[in-house]
Amino acid sequence: MKLPPVDYEAPRTVSEAVDLLAEHQDEASVLAGGQSLIPLLALRLAQPALLIDINGVQELSGVSVTGGWVTIGAMTREYVAEESGTIAGAVPLLAAALPLIGHEAIRSRGTVGGSLAHADPAAELPAVARALDAEFVVRGPSGERVVPAAEWFEGYLTTSRQPDELLTEVRFPAAGPGTGVSFQEIARRHGDFAMVGLATSVTLSDGVISDARLAFAGVSDVPARATGAEELLAGERPSAELFDQAARRAAGDLDPPSDLHGSAEYRKKVAAALVRRGLREAVDNAQAVDNAQEGQ
Amino acid sequence: MTEVDITLTVNGATRTGSPEARKTLADFLRDDLSLTGTHLGCEHGVCGACTVIVDGRAVRSCLMLAVQAAGSEVTTIEGLAVNGAGEEGGELGTLQQAMWDSHSFQCGFCTPGMVMQAAAFLSDHPDADEQQIREALSGNICRCTGYQSIIDGVLLAAERYHGR
Amino acid sequence: MTAIAAERYTGASIKRSEDPRILTGAGRYVDDIKLPGMLHAAFARSPMAHARVLSVDVSAARELPGVVAAYSGADLEAMTVPGPDALMALMGWQGPTPQFTLLATDKVRFAGDPVAVVIAESRYLAEDGCELVAVEYEDLPPVVNASFALDPASPPLFANLGDNIARPHSRNEFGDVAATFAGADRVFGFHIDVHRHQNVPMEGRACVASYDAGTGAMTVYAATQSVHVTKVAVAMRLGMEQEKVRALAGDIGGSFGLKIGASREELAVAAASRALGRPVKWVEDRGENLTTSGQAREESFDVRAAVSDDGGLLGLDVKMVVDTGAYPGMAMGAMVPDIVQAMFPGPYKMTALGFESTAVTTNKPTYVAYRGPWASETFVRERILDIIAKDLGLDPFEIRLHNVAPRTDPPAVMVTGRPLVGVTAKESLQRIAQLVDFPEFRRRQTEGRERGVYLGIGVATFIEAAPGPREPEGASGPMGMESMRLRLEEDGIVVLFTGQMPHGQSHQTTLAQIAADEFGVPFEQVRVVVGDSDVVPFGLTGGSRSATMTGGVALHGARQLKAKVIDVASHLMEASASDLELADGQVFVRGDPASGIPVGEVARRAAAGEFGAEVDASLEIVATFDGGEGGWSGGSHCAIVEVDTETGIVKVQRYVVAEDCGALINPAVVEGQIRGGVAQGIGAVLLERSAYDEDGNCQSATFMDYLLPTACDVPRIEVEHLETVPLDSDVNFRGVGEGGMIVAPPTIVNAIEDALSPFGVRIYEQHLPPARILELIATADPGE
Repeated sequence: MKLPPVDYEAPRTVSEAVDLLAEHQDEASVLAGGQSLIPLLALRLAQPALLIDINGVQELSGVSVTGGWVTIGAMTREYVAEESGTIAGAVPLLAAALPLIGHEAIRSRGTVGGSLAHADPAAELPAVARALDAEFVVRGPSGERVVPAAEWFEGYLTTSRQPDELLTEVRFPAAGPGTGVSFQEIARRHGDFAMVGLATSVTLSDGVISDARLAFAGVSDVPARATGAEELLAGERPSAELFDQAARRAAGDLDPPSDLHGSAEYRKKVAAALVRRGLREAVDNAQAVDNAQEGQ
Repeated sequence: MTEVDITLTVNGATRTGSPEARKTLADFLRDDLSLTGTHLGCEHGVCGACTVIVDGRAVRSCLMLAVQAAGSEVTTIEGLAVNGAGEEGGELGTLQQAMWDSHSFQCGFCTPGMVMQAAAFLSDHPDADEQQIREALSGNICRCTGYQSIIDGVLLAAERYHGR
Repeated sequence: MTAIAAERYTGASIKRSEDPRILTGAGRYVDDIKLPGMLHAAFARSPMAHARVLSVDVSAARELPGVVAAYSGADLEAMTVPGPDALMALMGWQGPTPQFTLLATDKVRFAGDPVAVVIAESRYLAEDGCELVAVEYEDLPPVVNASFALDPASPPLFANLGDNIARPHSRNEFGDVAATFAGADRVFGFHIDVHRHQNVPMEGRACVASYDAGTGAMTVYAATQSVHVTKVAVAMRLGMEQEKVRALAGDIGGSFGLKIGASREELAVAAASRALGRPVKWVEDRGENLTTSGQAREESFDVRAAVSDDGGLLGLDVKMVVDTGAYPGMAMGAMVPDIVQAMFPGPYKMTALGFESTAVTTNKPTYVAYRGPWASETFVRERILDIIAKDLGLDPFEIRLHNVAPRTDPPAVMVTGRPLVGVTAKESLQRIAQLVDFPEFRRRQTEGRERGVYLGIGVATFIEAAPGPREPEGASGPMGMESMRLRLEEDGIVVLFTGQMPHGQSHQTTLAQIAADEFGVPFEQVRVVVGDSDVVPFGLTGGSRSATMTGGVALHGARQLKAKVIDVASHLMEASASDLELADGQVFVRGDPASGIPVGEVARRAAAGEFGAEVDASLEIVATFDGGEGGWSGGSHCAIVEVDTETGIVKVQRYVVAEDCGALINPAVVEGQIRGGVAQGIGAVLLERSAYDEDGNCQSATFMDYLLPTACDVPRIEVEHLETVPLDSDVNFRGVGEGGMIVAPPTIVNAIEDALSPFGVRIYEQHLPPARILELIATADPGE
């Protein structure tokens, strides 16, 4: 299972990387953490002519906060993001999802940007990005553009990144007051891709749900926002019956695939169960935050 | 096909090579440096048999290109042995000795990756409990033991590191 | 119990001599071998499950820089001698033998069937070359399941067979089947399926073949369970004298039955090495291992059970169909029904068995031996006992106690003929009841159900012939006698040469324990030599027989060598042999330890010719052992599971084993074998399936789809060793390698069915992934 022949470049700056992409377009693959790309090459499912290794591009790493947004450089390693106090405080949903990505050794090399550019619909980070309406910053020969998450994920392993563009950073909105989160996942084994995963974020104001976000992993060719369920939840007081309603609505809106690991019917049932569990946990966390803030 | 000159530190020694860009770190270690202790169990990053330590972190060497390790410090299973012999009077590292005492392994094929992953985990989490150790090693597949003897070896090593 | 001389080491968990090299990365597996001038092989393989091969063009591959040669199936046919599979020939298989070639020539018969081999300077280049091999196929309808294979309209895989029957239907009856069924209070009928799954050792198949054109000798470095079978297979296929072929094996990364003899690819590599006069290495990658090395267990059963109202299992009538995949002549598939038939009664008293079977060939990888190849008999029997118990309102524990044959003298005899001598099935069940508080569990279970938590408990019992009770004279084939060469070296080291080929079994430790005790030297003074066909006697590691057969020959051989050494020493020391003892590496006059001479000195002086012609001073012997009284291994397992009925996820909370494998050589080794087998059983039920679509494409071709259990899937497994019934005056070690894998699947499935009994679920299959659990709940009738 050896990699096929391929040329190799290791640019030192974003603009060198973009120049290479402009020259080679979709004959080139960007090599970030390699945890998704290298297996594809080993299986000879992908045979690019050129690998553009961006591990040496220093300007792509780093976590910073500006004006209510947490900016994560595309080459930020998943384990660095996992250890980041900034992310733990400001983007708790991301912090909840990161430890579920594969195993520690995968997170040693895998990157936040790489996972989101690879866009496996069964992966954790795409669901988080979709739930939080993250923003994707790409740079191409004609400059930079910002793509909202709703437009980033186009299809299975397909994003709206153009062949001559490089994803440089991803921005997540900082969680507002009264927000609780949950990342639920049902996988065959610890560390596996989700058969069904759910990123949940709930904001409570005076005990009422002012904002609810639900995004699934593993149920479609892209991470799927459960907008019907979100609308149903908005403005309501949390209760078991409400969660149940939301679960049925969310599952009913799905048309999941069948594969070796689960049928469409199975995925719908699990999706509903995860909505109930996710909302319970997110609301519990939101209430704890709410109480803590009230206690101040 | 691109070949790239690289220099890196492996088990404390400076090593050089000119691997093809497509050659994995695992194959470079095994073939170019003759460090065959690191094993290939799947070559697609799931089984963990190829685990080595790069710049202080456990990584799957089948999911890194050799060229990406240029300038890095790599430790393989061969680098954990104190004097390699392990005979009476010889010295294994604490983890390896604890695993020997615990009958941790059978065929030995998963062993190097398992030991490297356990070593990396224990150094960051010296007080880990059994469940945490199981989760930390859940990305290393063993087909022979059912894992209990491996976990016992890691727990014993942790005790000994603490001087208990 | 067992009369071991010193018992210093035997019975203790002595640390393994294998471990220092294993733990330091100094093990030597086939892929670690580098020989001067060595080349690498890769195989171009068919993407089609069933097709005619119209043409194979390797010319583009040959022209790729770095590729040294490329051979098609036709090229290899010209270089080799056709013939039956070596292992099948050794075992005396008389049934239909499909004709096929090392690499596909006119037909491909499963997706992954090799059609060409490319030899290059590196494996990377060899794989590049394989992409350039151009093959024209003519699609044929695939035969992907047994029911189609049984249909005479299905296109035959093998022209010389004419249909897809690898072993024609046959039926045997034991006891009076008709009368038993006619007289039964109840007759139950079941259809039970066991799914396809596979060995998956962490190291796949691998070999380095090295032909020396100057001497005409072939050396094969193999990952194999027998260097002799590998040697014979290579010699036969290459038309070489056996004396010219040497098979060597170092460390082997597991096998579980997969690596026996030499596969088609290994033989092709040997032929290529001879053609090129250079060493050629082939190491199968994980994709090849999962899709082409072989698979196991795909069997279906129609079972009728004759039962009395009080839960007596009076008799069974079984119809078995085995899917042996493509190339069935090579392996267990067509033979396994015989063992299943023989073992079906288990330790129970039933007095009638009707058994019929058919084996079919299909467009999937070859059926290979996988740890306890006959295990389905335990699965089916232990499954239906639970279902019968539930139906009759009996406790699954009690129904087993009711049906287990009591231990009598002379022993009860299985209706299929073998005596249940020394079987402790009843004791193992009783021990489980002591170790697991069943009433407390039932309280927890009831309380859990009120909260929507579904716990279940399952029990199953088995026996395995490890090696089995003493057979009547003349009943054994090449697996029936074990030999060992033992030699005392001049430095005092006792060397054991055995045909055993450990691949995780720790023979280099366990055999040394026995020999050290019996001969009288410290453990460190014994060496066990394996893995060289020029040097070791015939042997094969498999069938859970080595504890008895090899442990026994080591015991008796060490005694014989000791007697010889004492005899020689008696001349040296001018004492009578009956006054001498050998302990701690010294020969001394009884009662006078200061008189001791190190055994090495005895050997030195013997070798120097000090004793003259009338003293037989050769301190090397060949010992043989036929198993003594032999015996059964067995036990009972118990599992407690929790089933999440919203997601179908099953967690094994507790797993308890009460086992009897006779006298223990090394308890840690025994427990390791059992736990590893149980883990594979958990894997089979919850995670592992070799999956195929209706076109014969493999859907479980990577570790992302063929899922192995991890450290989070296997709980602590509590192992209790029962006090065994000694049968032999000396050798009461019995094998334990396969038992865990044989009985764990029904144990787990019984527990899952118990957990889901409020839903009325009945389970007639072995593979229960989460989606299937939810399906079973949704389709069950709670009224049952």
